[in-house]
Formats: sequence, C-alpha cells, structure tokens
Amino acid sequence: MTKRLLISLFVSTLLAFGTISIAEEATPVAAEAESRNEFRSLDEDVQDLKKQVLDLNRDLFLLEEELLFPANSQVAFFISLDVGEYFDLDSVNLKIDGKEVANYLYTEREVGALARGGVHRVHMANLKTGDHELIAVFTGKGPHTRDYRRGATFSFSKGIGAKYMELEITDRVKKQQPEFEIKEWE
Amino acid sequence: MMKMKNFLVGLAFSVFAASSLASSGLTGQPAPDFALKSSSGDNLRLSEHRGDVVMVNFWATWCGPCRQEMPLLDELYSRYQRVGFSLLGVNIDDNSSKAMNMISELGVSFPVLFDSRKEVSKLYDVDAMPVTVIIDREGTVRYVHQGYKPGYEEMYLDQIRSLLRE
Repeated sequence: MTKRLLISLFVSTLLAFGTISIAEEATPVAAEAESRNEFRSLDEDVQDLKKQVLDLNRDLFLLEEELLFPANSQVAFFISLDVGEYFDLDSVNLKIDGKEVANYLYTEREVGALARGGVHRVHMANLKTGDHELIAVFTGKGPHTRDYRRGATFSFSKGIGAKYMELEITDRVKKQQPEFEIKEWE
Repeated sequence: MMKMKNFLVGLAFSVFAASSLASSGLTGQPAPDFALKSSSGDNLRLSEHRGDVVMVNFWATWCGPCRQEMPLLDELYSRYQRVGFSLLGVNIDDNSSKAMNMISELGVSFPVLFDSRKEVSKLYDVDAMPVTVIIDREGTVRYVHQGYKPGYEEMYLDQIRSLLRE
C-alpha cells in the first residue's frame, strides 16, 4: 500500500515537474516571437533611415552639381526656316559682344532638312548675366538668285536660368524679300 | 669620299621617303568633320559622304607635285566614282580665284573645296603639300600620305580598291 502511494507520489511529482518544465519552455517561445517582432520593426526602422539617408545624399549631390555646374549661364542659338522661297541659305555667322562664335556652312541636304521643319542648334555658349549683343549675318541667294547678305542685331539680357534664342528666316510676301527675326523662347 | 656622299644622299632620300609614307596620328581615328564651299558654289560636308570611300587631297597652286598628282587623282575619281568612291580636293590658297584657274587649266572633274581660313588643314595637321587622306566607309581615317612622288598613284589605287572591297 505504502509502495503504491510512493509510486503515485513519484508520478505526480514527475507530472508536476513536467508541467513546470513545459510552462517554463512556453514562456521563452513567446518572448522569442516578441523579440523577433521587435527586431523586425527595428529592421524596418533601419531600412527607413537608410532610405532617408540615401534620399538626402541624392538631394545633396544634385544640389552640389547645380552649384558647381550651373545650367544658368547657358545660351543656345537655333536656326529655323519658314517657307524660305525668297532665300536660299548658305551660311550663318554669329558674333556675341563683337566676338565671332560660330560660322556654319549649310549643305543642300541641311537646308532641305530646315525647310521640312527641322531646327538646327548652331551654337551653345556660356554667358554671364547681364546685357549682351548678338549679330547674326545670313549669307545665301536672295530673290532672283542674287547673292544676298543680311545682318540682324539683337540685344538681349541674360538673367538667371538657361536662355534659348531662335533665329528664324521667313518670307515677307508683300515685299518679296526674306526676313530675319531673332526671338527668345520663353 | 664619293662613297660617303652617296651614302648620305641615300640616307636623306630614305628618311624623306619614310616620312612621306608615315601615317599621322589621325590614322585609325574618326575623320574630323568639316564643311567647305566648293568650286560649284555648293557647300559640301564630309559626313554626308559616309558610306563611301573618301579621299581628301589637300593642295595649293604653288605646289609642283600637286599639279603633277591632280590629273592622276582625277583618273581614279572618274574610274571609281560609280562604285562608291568620293574625292574631295581641298585647296588651301588664300585666294580661291587662282585655284579656280588651275582647276580649269588641268580640267579636273572632282569637287574642289576652298579652305582659305585654313581651319580644315589645321584639323588634319597638314604640314606638307600635298597631303592625301583616305577614309573608309565607316568614316575612319585609314591612310595618310604626305607629299607626292611618281608611283604613289599605284599605292592609292591598291588602297582604294581594298577599302571598296570591305
């Protein structure tokens, strides 16, 4: 009888220990899951931070580039041709503030491309802000295939930001003469 | 003494020949593009001849070998023009009227361009007269010949034919 009691006591003790050990085991699993979640959120935070740093770095890089290599001083000059029946373009000579910057000879093919609506960037310069003078001399064949040479002077002010200027050759039907216009692109 | 003199003369000739045949730094490089006014009054641009084998011949009216060479170049031009060969003569005289006279006197038919501002001759480092540059269909400088001596036309012929075959 005593023996049976002892056995039952031993078993119950064992069971009790087993329950404790199971309970003890269950607690670290939950903690681990919790800590894993914490890690995950921390990792997300780190990733966010990393992304922010990268964004900041990109912004700084762009800012630095804009400061070091400003597009602000750029001025581009384009040649275009509208109709062009009274003028067969041969060459364009550009002077900015009295200094020759471009002398471009147009081939037959290039004139054909202009007549079909093409625009040619004849020159690109870096200019300081302030007032400048552009002198464009157009050479070619005028009405009745006579040699024709016309100059156009244009004063412009270079502010902040890139500037684009179009030198347009058009026909003045009334006078049966070509016309040379210089205009700024907004 | 006579032997020594002969040796020196031989050496001088061989140095001259070597230098005249030497290819400049332009060989293997893309041919610098240019546009010039031609004898017909049109403007011609080198890049518009891409796809052809192009010979650019720099010459001047005061250059004797040029006068000798030009009719031979004209023969090459007439023979190979129809199979994709272009020849552009670039005159470097200050006054183009002299060049026009010489062209009509020699009766050459290839286009002659006027580089009175010497911009194109600077682009091609022309420091001898004549200078003949041969450009392949891709627009790469393949041969540069400085000066002219009788027999060079055979070399030009071989080079043009091999480039046309490429």
